Amino acid sequence: MDMVAGRVWADERRPIRHVDWMLLLLIVVLTVVGLVLLHSISAATPDEAAFWVVRVMKQGATAGFGLLVVVLIASFDYRFFKVYAGFIYLAALAALVLVKIPGIGATDPSGVAQRWFAIAGIQITPSEITKVCAIVMLAAILSEIRAPEPALHDLVRVLAVAAVPLVLVFIQPDIGTSIVLAAITVGMLIVAGTRLKHLLILTATGLVLIGLSFQLGVIQDFQRERLTAFLDRANAPEDASYNLDQSLIAVGSGGLFGRGYLKGTQTNLDYVPRQHTDFIFTAAGEEFGFVGAMFVLLLYALILWRAIRIATLSKDPFGTLVAAGIASMFAIQMFVNIGMVIGIMPITGIPLPFLSYGGSSILVSFAAIGMLESIHMRRFS
Amino acid sequence: MDKMSSRIKVLALLVALMFVALSTRLWFLQVLATTQFQREARNNSVRFVYTEPLRGLMYDDQGHLLVANQESLEVRVNRDAMGSQAEAVVYRLAHLLNVPVRALVARLQDKRYYSFQPIPVAEFVQPHVRDYIAEYQELFPGVDVVPTSVRAYPQGRTAAHVLGYVGPIFAGEYDRLKNKGYQQSDVIGRSGLEQVYERFLRGTQGIQKFIVNSNGETIRALGVKDPTAGDDLHLTIDLRIQRAAQRELADELVRARLGHDINGLPLRANAGAVIVMDAQTGAIKAMASLPSYDPRWLVQGLTKTEADYLYKSPSAPSLNRAIQLGYVPGSTFKPITALAALKEGFATLGGYYPCDATYTHPGDKSGTVFHNWTTANLGTMSLSDAIRISCDTVFDRFGSDFYFRYVQNQLSDSGLLLQNDLRGFGFGTPTGIDLPSEGSGLVPDPAWAKTQPTLFPDGWVPGGDILTMIGSTYVMATPLQLAQAYSAIANGGHLCRPHVVARVVASDGTVVKQPDDHCNRMLPYTPGDLAYIRGALGSVITSGTAACSFSGFPTSQVWVGGKTGTAERPPHQDTSWFAAMAGQNPNAPKYVVISMVEQGGFGAEAAAPIARHVIEDIYHLPNNGQGGCAVGDR
Repeated sequence: MDMVAGRVWADERRPIRHVDWMLLLLIVVLTVVGLVLLHSISAATPDEAAFWVVRVMKQGATAGFGLLVVVLIASFDYRFFKVYAGFIYLAALAALVLVKIPGIGATDPSGVAQRWFAIAGIQITPSEITKVCAIVMLAAILSEIRAPEPALHDLVRVLAVAAVPLVLVFIQPDIGTSIVLAAITVGMLIVAGTRLKHLLILTATGLVLIGLSFQLGVIQDFQRERLTAFLDRANAPEDASYNLDQSLIAVGSGGLFGRGYLKGTQTNLDYVPRQHTDFIFTAAGEEFGFVGAMFVLLLYALILWRAIRIATLSKDPFGTLVAAGIASMFAIQMFVNIGMVIGIMPITGIPLPFLSYGGSSILVSFAAIGMLESIHMRRFS
Repeated sequence: MDKMSSRIKVLALLVALMFVALSTRLWFLQVLATTQFQREARNNSVRFVYTEPLRGLMYDDQGHLLVANQESLEVRVNRDAMGSQAEAVVYRLAHLLNVPVRALVARLQDKRYYSFQPIPVAEFVQPHVRDYIAEYQELFPGVDVVPTSVRAYPQGRTAAHVLGYVGPIFAGEYDRLKNKGYQQSDVIGRSGLEQVYERFLRGTQGIQKFIVNSNGETIRALGVKDPTAGDDLHLTIDLRIQRAAQRELADELVRARLGHDINGLPLRANAGAVIVMDAQTGAIKAMASLPSYDPRWLVQGLTKTEADYLYKSPSAPSLNRAIQLGYVPGSTFKPITALAALKEGFATLGGYYPCDATYTHPGDKSGTVFHNWTTANLGTMSLSDAIRISCDTVFDRFGSDFYFRYVQNQLSDSGLLLQNDLRGFGFGTPTGIDLPSEGSGLVPDPAWAKTQPTLFPDGWVPGGDILTMIGSTYVMATPLQLAQAYSAIANGGHLCRPHVVARVVASDGTVVKQPDDHCNRMLPYTPGDLAYIRGALGSVITSGTAACSFSGFPTSQVWVGGKTGTAERPPHQDTSWFAAMAGQNPNAPKYVVISMVEQGGFGAEAAAPIARHVIEDIYHLPNNGQGGCAVGDR
């Protein structure tokens, strides 16, 4: 082999030359869209004129920090995570247990859920981090299965590993993240080649468990009301249906081209509760209309396309499975969140990746992008 | 790895399906159904705040205030908003307001309100009640203390029936009224002038439009329209005469109960009415009806006793007997039927007519005999004397004449001469006074007789005309119809529409409504005939059936003419009537005074003294005379 050519070839394989710039660009555009929407939502809050500045600055700073996280994680070889998957997984479980201990975990204002650590004024939500940790752990186990299809005992092992964090998150209670964890598991099992029969049995079991959790009162009344409000909007209790009503009015009143930036009354007059977090999509729907909403969907579609493309490009099963898990995570979050906003999915507290206000959610999303980049950059090495 | 890449396609397909679902739903929401959501968005953020206008005031003809407004702190309870705490809230509220729980519950169970409609439960509460409820609002869900403007009646019960009262809008009415700009919590005129002149008195509510956020915080005002106070009513009522009429009526009812009917039983004199009307214009100067009520009860919130008395008692105190009920008018009808007989040529000014003890219709085989009020045969007399002593049989004869004319012209309208003449005087139809629920009275005619087969098994018979001639048995008139007819006699034949409101004046002073000429109908009676009848009415006072009641009255100062009436009303006692006209000029007396006492005996007994005293009061004459005389016509 010609040394020069070999050097060029080796140089061509250097990870830095294979950054997925398109993916990064999409993330930046989506983040900017998020800041614009956040500005619109926060600008007209009557009492504090500079309120929006604080929010937008904070979210912008988080996103900037997020880009650093992308660089940091992308600079690691993703296979490194496979080696430490067990530690990562156990650390996440430990955080989920610790957050439930009074005095360590912080309780949210409603006094019902105990979901995060308050460290130096920053909220750290272990359930968000758990999502990525679970992807790594599941990918590590599934990638070690040599057979074309996982055997039943492999499946049981995978499900057991997935079930522990899922149950811990569920009892926080955080039904939204439980749904995301379940979707990640299913998505990765599909890609891992699980037989259709097993997938169907798994789905059936899942449905029975959901039914049981309603019957046995594991799901509390306030959760049930929110979960079922979208099914019967007219008869839902007022506070449960109010959020959905206002959300639908916001999106529906946007029409084809929207009511104009800063001109949506639902958005500007604070009619949609939790609009800057779970219901941020309403601002896009109201002020930029169908066209704007479709633009946001297009951005997600392109990001998912990049993620799925990375899954196919990866040179090893671990990379493929991690990318597939991340794609599943983004897809289910986007679908359940927007679906909830437009009334075809139950109301659960699932943030919209890159748009919803909130540090942990943004940082975990950026970390996931970092992993995708790491896989993409090392697809030849 | 091959298996994996095919499975990745499955994942991609699932993701694609998600996008299809979201896009389809967005298309539906934002393109197909957007109009509805845009409307909902608009309704969401615009709030209307209504300011109630001050209701118009009412003045008498001298400018005395009759109806005013006053501030009241009103406690209102929204039953729906009390929720599960209802019982506790009612208990606390009753304690706070210092009223029995039962009374509070009774007001809350008023069926006239919707359950979501705030019900007023206490009026004129002290400011500390408002402060307490505001401070402990969580103990009083659904309870509001609101400052409201309510009616004030500086003259108390005076003219209560005429002025009327206001009341809340009830369940079932609101659907009709909301298009006219009413709010659920508004009041509306319920009777009297308050009802008839509602659209003037009400004024225009002020509207402030605000853009608000979801917390109800105002973002900015969209526009303000100030409320316009309602228009004021300037009445024709003269407060002094009104008070006199009420006082004399009330006094006479008490005094009349000392008398006895022809069977020796004490007179009940349970109700009565007085009207004083300007005969030249139709303006009502006074209108009294007893039993009555105090409009202030309605302002303070009716107690159960008051509500039962007002709405359920058989004495019907809310009824305005001066205009709303028809009564058999008795002999007060004779001057009117006499004019009809003169007009048709059955009677002449120079004619003499037998006043026998009994009368039988010529050719009648049924054996029907009509009796005069006395068994004596009084010989022949002029029409004037027949009125003066109220001879029935003279008029019975004219009734026969009218009946013969009917028989000859059965197929044409000209056969109903008597009925047409009476209708010309305004009987049988409401006068059109600006007060609600006016009665029509009744002019019996062959068509009506057909609808009464038990009374008229053979159709119209001579008795129909004969009894109508003496105002007996079937014919009915409201006191107001009589006032209108007597005014026409007094003013030379002009039929004037009675009215209570002289003009409606807007809050800026412009006259909104000034009724036009009320006396634009001319009756077909010659001045000579009318003057003759007035003369006959004058003789009733000086030497006729009312001579006793008017003994000592200074007719040289104030000319008075009148007619007694005693209407049989079995099984009740007789209705006592007196219809009078009075004035300095006997050829154009200014006032007509009608008095009526239910179960009051002879016309001269209860009604005539009322009219006499009212006339004395009008002309500042001392109240003289011994009062009623149990004499005269039946």
